[in-house]
Amino acid sequence: MALTEDRPLALPSGDSNDGYTPTGVFTRPSAETGPRSWFTTVDHKKIGIMYGAAAIFFFIIGGAEALLIRMQLWAPRGSLLSANLYNQVYTMHGTTMVFLVVMPIGAAFANYLIPLQIGARDVAFPRINAFSFWAFLAGGVFLNSSWLLGGGADGGWFMYAPNSGVVFSPTHGVDFWNLGLIITGIASLTGAVNLIVTVLNMRAPGMTLMRMPIFTWMALVSQFLLLFAIPVLTSAQVLLMLDRLFGANFFNVAKGANPLLWEHLFWIFGHPEVYLMILPAFGLVSEILPTFARKPIFGYPFIVFSGIAIGFMGWGVWAHHMFVSGIGPISVTAFSLTTMFIAVPTGVKILNWTATMWGGKLNFSAPMLFSIGLVTMFTIGGLSGVMHSVSPMDTQQTDTYFIVAHFHYVLFGGAFFGFMGGFYFYWPKAFGYMLNESIGKANFWLMLLGFNLTFAPMHVLGLQGMSRRIYTYDAGYGFEFWNKVATIGAFTLASSIALFIFNIFYSKSKAKNLPPVGPDPWDSRTIEWMVPSPTPAYNFDPIPTVTRVDDFWYRKYGETKDGKLVRIASTAEVAQQRNDGKGVHLPSPSYWPIVLAFGLPIVAYGLIFSLWLALIGGIVVVAALYGWIMEPPDDPDKAHDDHGPEAHASGGGDAAVSDSADGVKEVETVG
Amino acid sequence: MQRLPKIVRILAVISFTVVVVLFAALIVNSFQNSGKPLSSLAPEGPSAESIQRLVIPVTSIAGIVFVLVIGAIVFITWKFRERKDSDPDEFPSQIHGKTTLEIGWTILPALILAGIAVGTVLTIINLNREEPNSIQVQVAGQQWWWQYKYDVNNDGNFDGPEDITTSTEMVVPAGRPIQVTTTSNDVIHSFWIPGLNGKRDAVPGLRNPLKLQADEPGVFRGQCTEFCGLSHANMRMLVRAVSTSDYDGWVRNQLKDHAADPTDPVAAEGKKVWLSLCAQCHVINGINDAKMKETPPPLVSGVAPNLTHLMTRGTFVGSIFNLYEPVSSDGSPLLMSDVAAAGDPGAALTGGKVDTATVNRVTLEAWLRNAPALKPMYPQGGRGMPNLNLTEEQIDQLVAFLETLN
Repeated sequence: MALTEDRPLALPSGDSNDGYTPTGVFTRPSAETGPRSWFTTVDHKKIGIMYGAAAIFFFIIGGAEALLIRMQLWAPRGSLLSANLYNQVYTMHGTTMVFLVVMPIGAAFANYLIPLQIGARDVAFPRINAFSFWAFLAGGVFLNSSWLLGGGADGGWFMYAPNSGVVFSPTHGVDFWNLGLIITGIASLTGAVNLIVTVLNMRAPGMTLMRMPIFTWMALVSQFLLLFAIPVLTSAQVLLMLDRLFGANFFNVAKGANPLLWEHLFWIFGHPEVYLMILPAFGLVSEILPTFARKPIFGYPFIVFSGIAIGFMGWGVWAHHMFVSGIGPISVTAFSLTTMFIAVPTGVKILNWTATMWGGKLNFSAPMLFSIGLVTMFTIGGLSGVMHSVSPMDTQQTDTYFIVAHFHYVLFGGAFFGFMGGFYFYWPKAFGYMLNESIGKANFWLMLLGFNLTFAPMHVLGLQGMSRRIYTYDAGYGFEFWNKVATIGAFTLASSIALFIFNIFYSKSKAKNLPPVGPDPWDSRTIEWMVPSPTPAYNFDPIPTVTRVDDFWYRKYGETKDGKLVRIASTAEVAQQRNDGKGVHLPSPSYWPIVLAFGLPIVAYGLIFSLWLALIGGIVVVAALYGWIMEPPDDPDKAHDDHGPEAHASGGGDAAVSDSADGVKEVETVG
Repeated sequence: MQRLPKIVRILAVISFTVVVVLFAALIVNSFQNSGKPLSSLAPEGPSAESIQRLVIPVTSIAGIVFVLVIGAIVFITWKFRERKDSDPDEFPSQIHGKTTLEIGWTILPALILAGIAVGTVLTIINLNREEPNSIQVQVAGQQWWWQYKYDVNNDGNFDGPEDITTSTEMVVPAGRPIQVTTTSNDVIHSFWIPGLNGKRDAVPGLRNPLKLQADEPGVFRGQCTEFCGLSHANMRMLVRAVSTSDYDGWVRNQLKDHAADPTDPVAAEGKKVWLSLCAQCHVINGINDAKMKETPPPLVSGVAPNLTHLMTRGTFVGSIFNLYEPVSSDGSPLLMSDVAAAGDPGAALTGGKVDTATVNRVTLEAWLRNAPALKPMYPQGGRGMPNLNLTEEQIDQLVAFLETLN
């Protein structure tokens, strides 16, 4: 961090940097706008938007897979998909939705919002941030390229050994799954480190931890979960890779392996994974509900600490995925009890959200509807979760459609409803235009209908004996009716997604005739709403000084002792005007993150098809690392040309927190 | 508050109404378990009943919490909605939280859960208590069928000459405890008879215990519940609970080796076909059991179903087809027409005469004609039965021979 002024990798002060290419390949890119700038950007907002766009792209793929599954199960002995293809489709559906949709949408919001919510100019390591995104995209594309290169993985997203071994799954599908997720794991890990450092080190003056917006808190907890969970999965996957590609025997029962090793490793990752997927959505809802209830969040410290409690307790419940796998009655009892009690902090959150709405003045905007949707639908998923924690009941329910219903209520009814609320809420901040509210409301009601029609019947299907992961079922078990309802529901759900995508384009075309949205269209509470919409590249000018939770709100409103609100300033008075950002010093774009990221799948293809290709990929990776290291941290021509105080026209009563741009300058040197 | 376009309001009403009706219908339907042979909500043995005793209170508590929370949210959204005529400058009272309330709703759920925990622990103890006088059965999963070994003489060994090896159907006496040990010969499977108990994974290299007991004679269906590859969906199981005397007769018959050569000349030809092709993988005790120990079959799991007493079973091919059933009029292969009843071997169960008129010949022949067409398998990788390219004559001969295996 002490590299502020002496920059050992840069040229001697005063020399021009023009044409200086340490590896002889690239000059430092300079485009800040235009299509090319997206490939080299290190701006957390552009990266966040790209995370979101890529996730929606993969969501369409995963959703199409879901529709194939539902069409196959429309009637007994469905013949749309063969058993082999069905197994690939359901495996890729689960893998795509978890790793390429829910996790990156969480990353999209975290990337976009964390620097804005804590009053920073960017993340701590902007180039690593770009690398995280490109590695995620490279891993996702690599994973899905298996469809064109011999078929997808067919072992389920949990990929239990020994069924994932080369004897039982001889195609390369499992290898694509394995290596693709190792690559996205690298992306998640670097992203987690980056965001943790950002939150801990780069908060605006006065932004203590207990003044941070709840979204930032929940995203921080989920980044810590990623930091510790991903290495467990990666370790297990390296063992599986050695087994499959190099003949090792980690999961070979004939050589004395215990297949439960994989189950333990997978779920030690897998359960914290569930919480790290849901916590960002919890954070979004905790921003949206107070805004539209016109009341502060009820019990800020309790919401924060219950999130932290979930983060810790999430590590002690993994074996509830293994109640029937033969871990013995003592372990079963222990994990039963820990699982029950993780419901307490979750319940605290639900009740606090409910109390936030109590006594409020509720405005049912689209983001608010989706947030209330999360609170209700997640409650159902939470209650069925408590039912599973009762391990004797779980022995009847596990691996049936009851579980499918449960986790879709958690991950779709919970996480995805929260994300939808977040999209509608933050769309004007990111893109400068509002999504149409009426279409948004129709979007919500259609999604609520489709979601429940699809997944509610699965509770009863599961309790009445329908097993998971079956490509077919026979007549005579009583499964016909509810499967038809679920399939109709799935198409209703798909139409609600189509309506959302339509709304994006429709609203954009209408936005030309509407006045600009301004910085604060919802009369919101946190400091990201004081900057212009869409957010300028430099975020804040100047960096605000924070004095309390919901700082921006209390610049607009004062509160009397008996809890009455009084407006003290208009939004226009306290919002930051669109300054030119003159003198603000932003990190320069770079080619190396994308080059490094796309070296990784070349290595992975090489491991599968030819080690020579892996060697080429390895050369690309090493060359990219070398270029990255040798690249000057920023363009010396552009730096330090102007730091005059006139660049910091004070807005919103901030003390002249001059030169806070140095916060970025310091760390970008490291990144 | 802006007025919503009419269509959005209609959609909201439809959506809300359909969801409420849906939930009501699902709750009602969860009590309707007749004609649903895999339902976990219709226990027919002591273990499943002890789980059910937990299901009712836990589900009721969950239901009450559900109604209270959802009801509260619906009430709040109605009561505190922004009115059309409200003053935009008027704000609700700003409450930041209330510590006593927070402590209350932390402790209250914890207390409720503690109550559930007590019942859970007691049930776990009950389900793991060993019953005296149990029949010992080892259940081994393999892609994609189940093998059952009975330790008839109770010496702790399942492979002695006094013991039984069979497949597809597990025959048990009603009212007597069965101590099942699950294991696997290849990948992880899960053994589940929902009417009798929860499931237990069959893990290669591990021996996992599971108690079963049927209160009354009857057929209890099951389905493999751990994903086990290509034909996971077609890996079913069936427990046939019979009277004690029938069970004793069944055991006596199972212990017999295959009798002398068939007298019927067609069946005798069929035996030759069987010896030249089927005997590479399948065993008939008294014909090739000794030889099979020297040269195990070329299968990943190392074993194919033992056919010594094939005709004592009501179903075949991992219980997805009936072995006994009237032939369909159009001659197409029959799937299970009555899943709950399953095929009935009649007197053949205990070694009596096979009623060939009731044998489901059409499906049996179709299976012999091209097995992988009826059930996805992977014979080229040593996992499942290949298409043997038999002639129609050979198929007739084989069926005649198989019909003698009572």
